[in-house]
Amino acid sequence: MSTAMEGKKKDSRKQSSGAAFQWLSGIVLTIGGLFFLLPFFWMITSSFKPEGEIVQIPPTFWPESFTMHNFTYLFNNMKFDVYFKNTLIIVLFSYIGLLLNALAGFGFAKYDFKGRNALFVLVLATMMIPSQVTMIPVYLILNSLGLTNTMTGIVLPGLVGAFAIFLFRQFMSTIPTELLEATRLDGASEYRIFAQIVLPITKPILAVQAILTFIGGWNSFLWPLIIANDESLYTLSVGLSLLKGQYAANFGLQMAGATFMVVPVILLFTYFQKHIIENFSISGMK
Amino acid sequence: MKGFLNKQAPYIFIAPTLILLTLFSIVPILVALVISFTDMDLGGLANFNSISFIGFENYVEVLKDPVFMKAIYNTIFYVVIGVPLVILFSLAIALLINLGTSRIFKAFRVVYYLPSVTNIVAVAVVWNYLYNPTLGLFNYLLNLVGLPDVPWLTEPTIAKLSLILLALWKAVGLNMIIFIAALQGIPKSYYEAAQLDGANTWQQVTRITIPMLRFAIFFVSITTMIGWLQFFEEPFVMTQGGPLDGTLSVALFIYQNGFKFNNFGYAAAGSFVLFVCIIAITLVQLKLQKNESDMT
Amino acid sequence: MKKTFAMITTVALTAGLLAGCGADNKNEGSTNTGNGGSANEKVTLNVWGMGEEAKTLPKLAEEFTKENPNITINVQALPWAQGHEKLLTAIASKKGPDVIQMGTSWIPEFAEAGALADLTPYIEQYEELNPENFYSGAVEAGKSGDKYVGSPWYVETRVLYYRTDLLKEVGYDAAPQTWEELSDAAQKLAARGEGKYGISIDPKEESLGFMFSRQNGAEWFTADGQPNFSDDKFVEAVEYINSFYQNGSAPKDLGLDIVPAFKEGILPIFISGPWMIKLIQDQAPEINDKWAIAVLPKKENNISLLGGSNLSIFEYSTNKDAAAKFIAFMSKPETQMKWMEHTSSLPAATAAWENDTLKNDPFYKVIGEQLNAAQPMPVIAEWTKINQSYLKHFEVIYRSNADVKKELEAFNEEAAKILK
Repeated sequence: MSTAMEGKKKDSRKQSSGAAFQWLSGIVLTIGGLFFLLPFFWMITSSFKPEGEIVQIPPTFWPESFTMHNFTYLFNNMKFDVYFKNTLIIVLFSYIGLLLNALAGFGFAKYDFKGRNALFVLVLATMMIPSQVTMIPVYLILNSLGLTNTMTGIVLPGLVGAFAIFLFRQFMSTIPTELLEATRLDGASEYRIFAQIVLPITKPILAVQAILTFIGGWNSFLWPLIIANDESLYTLSVGLSLLKGQYAANFGLQMAGATFMVVPVILLFTYFQKHIIENFSISGMK
Repeated sequence: MKGFLNKQAPYIFIAPTLILLTLFSIVPILVALVISFTDMDLGGLANFNSISFIGFENYVEVLKDPVFMKAIYNTIFYVVIGVPLVILFSLAIALLINLGTSRIFKAFRVVYYLPSVTNIVAVAVVWNYLYNPTLGLFNYLLNLVGLPDVPWLTEPTIAKLSLILLALWKAVGLNMIIFIAALQGIPKSYYEAAQLDGANTWQQVTRITIPMLRFAIFFVSITTMIGWLQFFEEPFVMTQGGPLDGTLSVALFIYQNGFKFNNFGYAAAGSFVLFVCIIAITLVQLKLQKNESDMT
Repeated sequence: MKKTFAMITTVALTAGLLAGCGADNKNEGSTNTGNGGSANEKVTLNVWGMGEEAKTLPKLAEEFTKENPNITINVQALPWAQGHEKLLTAIASKKGPDVIQMGTSWIPEFAEAGALADLTPYIEQYEELNPENFYSGAVEAGKSGDKYVGSPWYVETRVLYYRTDLLKEVGYDAAPQTWEELSDAAQKLAARGEGKYGISIDPKEESLGFMFSRQNGAEWFTADGQPNFSDDKFVEAVEYINSFYQNGSAPKDLGLDIVPAFKEGILPIFISGPWMIKLIQDQAPEINDKWAIAVLPKKENNISLLGGSNLSIFEYSTNKDAAAKFIAFMSKPETQMKWMEHTSSLPAATAAWENDTLKNDPFYKVIGEQLNAAQPMPVIAEWTKINQSYLKHFEVIYRSNADVKKELEAFNEEAAKILK
């Protein structure tokens, strides 16, 4: 299917977008891309340098004395298995949140019910709250629910988010109402409509959201630390932040940790963009 | 029963999210509102009885605080320059990638997206190096072409611009992905029809793509605006607000007062000033959007 | 509109109260469960340590558990940068650790909030906790009013690091002994050429101004407790620091890490704590025989800053007796020596310094000497804020060479406001 569409795309664009334009935009994107990749490249090469070389003057471009020490230290000194497991649990739970967000977005986009606009404004308002100010109240609420030092307490506050609801609503509003009406006339329940019509159409946004959700869970940091009174609940990010000493920066270790945390995201993203965004791009939309 | 469930469907759709949002966003912000009228400090946190209400004193104080005013000025600076740049760059990159036919264009998605997923600690370390006055790559490149050094993080205005550049680098990927997803949603038949009418690429972009992206542009501009009004991470990890408070944002001001100096009441008052500003600006944006959609 | 506002306020109040009550109830509930640690009851102590070093703490805890089989130690390591937030929430919920490692600069605010238990009753019980066993500055840092809330664990102080070879080149066979010599040496070193400097003075290090002013004999507070930061002695000290920037012997924005700059001889002198010894040895082994440390140059005195960490019992702990026992164990000179082997933190117990390892080591000898002339910053909760205010005014001074007296007067006014 992918190649078929690829061919079609090429055909339809051939006349209008000439080779010159393709080359030009390719060059522009390459130059910009190099700039975007540069810090990244630096992070990875640094993780293979000994600490002394990282702070050397002038900096070395490529590791002069290549070392795996930073990585071995990480794996020997951190309970990576525990942190990794916790991080995965958080990510999995946040996917439940993703579904809830999609449901709410659909509710706001395609139904006219009493108080809809007021409720939606309320949802939007939560996005505008500076998170610095709610941290202690949220903590107190969780504490009074007896949820501190539990995985539930870590996951619950971030489960749903206005940004995602807003994004879903925004894109689900573009689904033609006639399409839903037609299905409704066929006797489908609202829930079936959501599962069988709406979700498939929303796949590009679902993919975007899925990635965002993953990254959010993957990098979740301050909250797990605040809630956890036990290191068995720490996530990878919290573990990594332990590496920074009070006085010594331990750049090499931090770089190795950051590299380690970014690689899975790259793999995941490469996979997602290949298989989801492209294949399902326009199905269902006329 | 089934009929009832069906009728209540919209409420059932939104109920779980609303409950969670109420519990973990609305109630906390109301608690914070109460705190903003008190003199709560660390002692008050330990013992609620020692808190006393002081009316609007925190608000009066914070609005008189020259540091807070500077933070507001800086935040406006960030928003006015940062938001248009983010939208422009992410839209342009999304369009270029989407128009590209070669396989390599797909790789660009990953490339431009990477900064958004990189751990902030690594970002801070790497960018501090790039901006380094003595060994930084940027000054090195400038010197190569015969230009003098730029005080990237040590002159208040330039430091703000440097942080915007960094934030741009970090923000473009996410918004680009949203734009690409929206672009994929535009039916191919529209372009085919336009091509039959003899429209060139530029005309297709301006007449079909941009109008069809209205929703996405609206979404990105609102969320980006809100995000920049809450600009926090970049000055937090890069400059801590310096030099001379030149990069201090309102969110960082709140954080420092709350978590460094334990002035919870004062910090809460500051956040409500910010909160009200964000709401006002967003309402204006929503209104503009509404007018626009009425017209079309 | 008015009505809605009233309603919102009511809801908020109730919510706040509910949250508050919840926390209160919890507290009452748990204090009633009695104080464990006595006799044979099994107790688990939660210990909060800071940073990577806390990862080594379980090794010492093991030995403690060997001696006290019914007390298990559960160590949680907190990142330095976020430790403060974590402690705030612990206080809010009145739940958290039994024993906390407190950086000395944190003690005043948390003690004032009533989060740290008074250790006075335990001093009689455990000879190891006797304040006379420790450096007096570290004991000072653990006091809050008439309470003694933090028992010294490890200490650090600032000393002068210098390149012996480069100083010899400009005529100094030993480290500068006085302020004048330091200034002179720095200028001579800076005159070596373009891109070379004499000394590194970190403008973001808030303690420097206070440290120098104390060396100049400045009294920070008047007899009636008013701040006295625009006093001539203080002004003179800040002018002295500023002179390094203005005559070019100290860089304003170099952006180099100290170790490589030290190695390359760009910054041949700097003032820092004992942790730099290991960093230089590890990262710049090439200059191993070309640098040394010395006690700070003197003006009226050469009192350095005393920092480090103390151990405290969390006020809301239900195992205070066991916690005191653990702290007593950690205070033993032998334990502190072991801790030093693992983490290179310096023992706060003076008896440990009689040990040959410390006595014969050229570096530790200097630090031990400096420790005898080292005092902490004032033990008041507002100090963090005063520090920040000082830094801001000092930034104006060194960047735009502003009038020192005027800036410090503005700073003094702010400090008075903070303290009121």
